[in-house]
Amino acid sequence: MKPLRNGNVIHDEPPRKRFQEDFESTPLYIAVVTYINYGIMIVFGFLRDFLRRHGFEKTHASTEASDMKDFVPLYASFESFYTRNIYNRIQDVFNRPICSVPGPVIDIVERQFSKSGWMFEYTGKVLKNVVNLGSYNYLGFAENDGPCAEASIESIEKYGVGVCSSRKEMGNLDIHVKLEKKMAEYLDVEACLTFGMGFATNSMNIPCLVSKGCLIISDGLNHASLVLGCRLSGAQIRVFKHNDMKDLESKLRDAVVYGQPRTHRPWKKILIIVEGVYSMEGSIVNLPGILELKKKYKAYVFLDEAHSIGALGSRGRGVTEYFGIHPREVDIMMGTFTKSFGAAGGYIAGSRALVEHLRYHSHSACYATSMSPPVCEQIITSLHIISSTDEGKRRIKQLADNCRMFRQGLKKLGNIVYGNDDSPVVPAMIYAPTKLGAFSREMLKRGFGVVVVGFPATPIAESRVRFCISAALTEQQLQDALDAISDISDLLQMKYSKKKIA
Amino acid sequence: MHTGTTNQVANPNTVVWNSPGIWITYSILTAFMHLVLLSMPWFTTSVAWTLTNVVHGVGMYFFLHTIKGTPFETSDQGKYRYSTHWEQMDSGTQFTAARKFFMTTPIVLYILASFYSKYEFTHFVINTSILLLSLLPKLPQLHGVRLFGINKY
Repeated sequence: MKPLRNGNVIHDEPPRKRFQEDFESTPLYIAVVTYINYGIMIVFGFLRDFLRRHGFEKTHASTEASDMKDFVPLYASFESFYTRNIYNRIQDVFNRPICSVPGPVIDIVERQFSKSGWMFEYTGKVLKNVVNLGSYNYLGFAENDGPCAEASIESIEKYGVGVCSSRKEMGNLDIHVKLEKKMAEYLDVEACLTFGMGFATNSMNIPCLVSKGCLIISDGLNHASLVLGCRLSGAQIRVFKHNDMKDLESKLRDAVVYGQPRTHRPWKKILIIVEGVYSMEGSIVNLPGILELKKKYKAYVFLDEAHSIGALGSRGRGVTEYFGIHPREVDIMMGTFTKSFGAAGGYIAGSRALVEHLRYHSHSACYATSMSPPVCEQIITSLHIISSTDEGKRRIKQLADNCRMFRQGLKKLGNIVYGNDDSPVVPAMIYAPTKLGAFSREMLKRGFGVVVVGFPATPIAESRVRFCISAALTEQQLQDALDAISDISDLLQMKYSKKKIA
Repeated sequence: MHTGTTNQVANPNTVVWNSPGIWITYSILTAFMHLVLLSMPWFTTSVAWTLTNVVHGVGMYFFLHTIKGTPFETSDQGKYRYSTHWEQMDSGTQFTAARKFFMTTPIVLYILASFYSKYEFTHFVINTSILLLSLLPKLPQLHGVRLFGINKY
């Protein structure tokens, strides 16, 4: 098939998956209790800060040096109010140190917290074989043995670990060229360019694509790397409501009709930036809707498949395969190797013209050190496993089965679960900040490691626990996890859902 | 704690008063405070109502118009570091629903306090001055205004 300009591809339309997502709204009494919860903590926070400031209570936080008192203070102490008074109390559920490979089970270094979260010490013990429900290990490639690890070790014996140069100078190894070719074949696009760091891929390359005089319309829940890249580019940024096609259409229409703010000149480019799977909401982008709008209003689409590459689609090709869309319809496809491939780094793929432009103009390609050879080898081996072997097919199927089973299991228990039924990220709502700490600690007691997220990373009334399903987890482990969650949900009364699942 | 991962706004303080159920929570908390004051046997009804009005007004002035900045780090590079919470609300847009709610509550409390204190003179003076303290800083003309340089930095 011959791709026309602007990524229009004419082909027989294969059947597209029906788009569904679900964000059940907070029950009113739970919202009221959550706000009162925050209110009490804020009042006590002010009280304790008052006592600390006037010397009635010892300050454990770091303070300005005593001989710098007459200088303008470096930091506003109010900006760390939340950290001091709310975050510190449940600090033991965040930043847990792990001392094993982040596979299906992990070893966590045990810490003992005292003085309501201000001090901790290492007890010297290690909690072994904690089931890992938090790592982005979708296809289970975070392993320290097996074909990927052996290939990486061989490549260290051949290339060493460091590259000691950027891509433009002496750092362009044959393994990089091979990786890019294989990635382009995997994604079924013309060419691909890889970078050493996923965050840097977004933040350094969006400025190469758009500049002042262009318009970026980005989804409200985009990741910090995309937001940073948009800001660095100097383009005008407009935000549309998460996955809301009507809002996106109205913003596109306004942009096309009214043009740039004062001069009303037409925009040089309009770029729509979306992610494949949103890791905090567990939702999948409405890609058919976006492509329809893109073709109607002649905009470009940047798709960040950090969480969806390898994890969605029957062959692991990502969100385009999930919806049955040909990948050449998306202008710029970006992804990371950190989640499904068990490595590090990011890539941008698309037409050859795009990739050549980035190769010469991207800061990341010119100045950043290129990817380390064992990491490249890990990706090449895992790509080979995913695309050409039965083991890969088994992993993809296992991931899909695990996702479905875990999500349905949670819904049957009565917890409110956000997002799309097929996404590998499962957020379950907890709402109250104190329950966050309790949930995580109880799960750890029962041998499960989970990630809880609260305000201000989420809206104030929507604290949640985010489970990341892995193909390496067995059904038995997931069932045990569901039993543990059921116990704790009864204890914490987290079964808020009003929907009845048979 | 760093914002910017799932919130649709860089500064969550701007939208917190639009969250579902928060107005009801505010009313419940005010009513609870009033009941606590009313239950003290040495306060007459008039004193209890005026005291509710005073505590509400002073608390509102302190939290909305004195404290500046955000209690957490935001990813908008300190845009609101010197703005009070009232100025941050809805990113400075005037006449939004949340702002109308906060203009209404002091007025409602004033009317109730005046009624229950039977329009006596001392109570009237106290209630009216509290009403002015609550309402004047919320006027759009006083957005970002710092009188005599008080509370500027």
